[in-house]
Amino acid sequence: MVSEYLSFVEKYCTGCTHCVRACPTKSIRIRNNKAVFSDELCIGCGECIRVCPEGAISSSLSTIEPFTKDKLNAVIVSPVLYAQFPSFMPGDVLLGLKHMGFDHAIDLSYYIEMYQYAVEEFVLANRESRNAPGPLISPICPVTIRLIALNYPNLIDHIIPLRSPSALVGDKIRKKLSHAHGVPEKDIKLYHITPCHSKVFPDQSKLMDELNYVDHALGINKIFPELLAKMEQVKKDELPLFPNEHFSFIPSSRGPLWGMSGGEIAGMRIDKVIAVSGIKEIMAYLDKIEMGLFSDMEYIEFRACTEGCLGGPLTAVDRYMAKSTVQKFIKMFGLERRLPRQKIRQFYDKGWFFSKLKSSELVSINKLKRKPLSINDMKEIEKLVSLIQGNECAACGAPDCRAFAEDVIRGEVDLKNCFKMSNIK
Amino acid sequence: MSPLKKCFNVRNRDFIHAGEASIAVQQLLKQMHVDPVLIRRIAVCGYEGEMNMVMHGEGGLYCVEIHSGKIILDLSDNGPGIPDIAKAMEKGFSTASDEFREMGFGAGMGLPNMDKNADDMFIESEKGCGTKVQMVFMVK
Repeated sequence: MVSEYLSFVEKYCTGCTHCVRACPTKSIRIRNNKAVFSDELCIGCGECIRVCPEGAISSSLSTIEPFTKDKLNAVIVSPVLYAQFPSFMPGDVLLGLKHMGFDHAIDLSYYIEMYQYAVEEFVLANRESRNAPGPLISPICPVTIRLIALNYPNLIDHIIPLRSPSALVGDKIRKKLSHAHGVPEKDIKLYHITPCHSKVFPDQSKLMDELNYVDHALGINKIFPELLAKMEQVKKDELPLFPNEHFSFIPSSRGPLWGMSGGEIAGMRIDKVIAVSGIKEIMAYLDKIEMGLFSDMEYIEFRACTEGCLGGPLTAVDRYMAKSTVQKFIKMFGLERRLPRQKIRQFYDKGWFFSKLKSSELVSINKLKRKPLSINDMKEIEKLVSLIQGNECAACGAPDCRAFAEDVIRGEVDLKNCFKMSNIK
Repeated sequence: MSPLKKCFNVRNRDFIHAGEASIAVQQLLKQMHVDPVLIRRIAVCGYEGEMNMVMHGEGGLYCVEIHSGKIILDLSDNGPGIPDIAKAMEKGFSTASDEFREMGFGAGMGLPNMDKNADDMFIESEKGCGTKVQMVFMVK
């Protein structure tokens, strides 16, 4: 592992600089023809995984293990999984998972609805109190949260301190299963199937209290072939159906919609909402929010992956195909909410939705150890940049000439690595 | 120690790139680990000033000077100048066209906002000779 989120096979790396240019936090360099990663700057966005032509970079999420060791387990299913199978219904997917060896397969739709109510309550209350500065920012996308903690500490107070639906369900389901089966809570293994390669890692868990609730995260692409095979078998009546159980909940189209950019805010009872997807677009928005723009917006849904979680790096099918499947579900199920507002209001008032994390702790996650540049360093960098007069070729192994100049001033690399400078004494 | 000085060209009515000078300054300051609250104040002032240059000032030069104890933004534009500076400093006073209002600007809060966020602000303007705005931020 070269960062908390990445695995890297050095022998596959050709030193091509694709990843260097793609990284939004400029955390990758090529040194001696191989990629070198800076863990402290990595926000786990997965852009390098997507662009690596050699497949040298991959997610460090745990691979699938035999579940037989588990006394009792359950899998929390990201609704993005349903969108991977255009010819199956969400119920089929849950059934297939149980045939793979999961004791329980848990749908998230109910909890997504609850979360959406909680956001509405929070935004409406904040309209009066103005305790948190506008625009409020969705806490769902872990990459966005890390990006804010790393580069936009001013905006941490804009993040709504609510727990994500998967954290909410994890909290509930472990207790329920323990009660129903008489198994101690610690012996229950909770899995989470996700399109997001950077979920459920120690720091992320701290962000949204997920650590206590989920034990293992599995990429959709890892389980896809086996799951598809099981579902085909069920279809051909080679495998039995299971009786319904109240743990699993019934999927609705709220779930699949959630994976699309704009799915979190769809149908919310808030007027000024906006959904932004794609890491570059998010950075442009965060820059502007920091400059005081969009303060009249009430809530912003950010998703680091283009088109939302359907475009996550660990999905199995193309994001636009998946989107088409989601549209089909919406047509079939409609967008009605199923939960009574009054009931959720009670939970909300008890504080059940809230993350225990304080914004000051989020700042401490920003573990940047790079030493600050002085005024003199900055002047030297400016001088170097104008001396090089380069055209951002990245042949030196840095993403652009300014980053290279900075590396030189920090003493990390020799000026001669720039081919324009190699002949100059 | 001499300060770090950096200048950016701001082009008339270039809304696609408007704000980029302010963002570049923000990034410089972040690399130097300047206090985030101060960075935000500078970002707000810089952006308001930059938008004024884009909309009213017919473009100009956006300069930042980073001293060890203070940071100075120097914005000079090529526009028509401000005939009545005291009036322009009033909250809600705006000369923005309908076009700019439609784009969400023209609330008449630009200069008052800059004045509020900067530790010191100086405006020099003469009709027909453009406007110079200097904002000073003290670094603790």
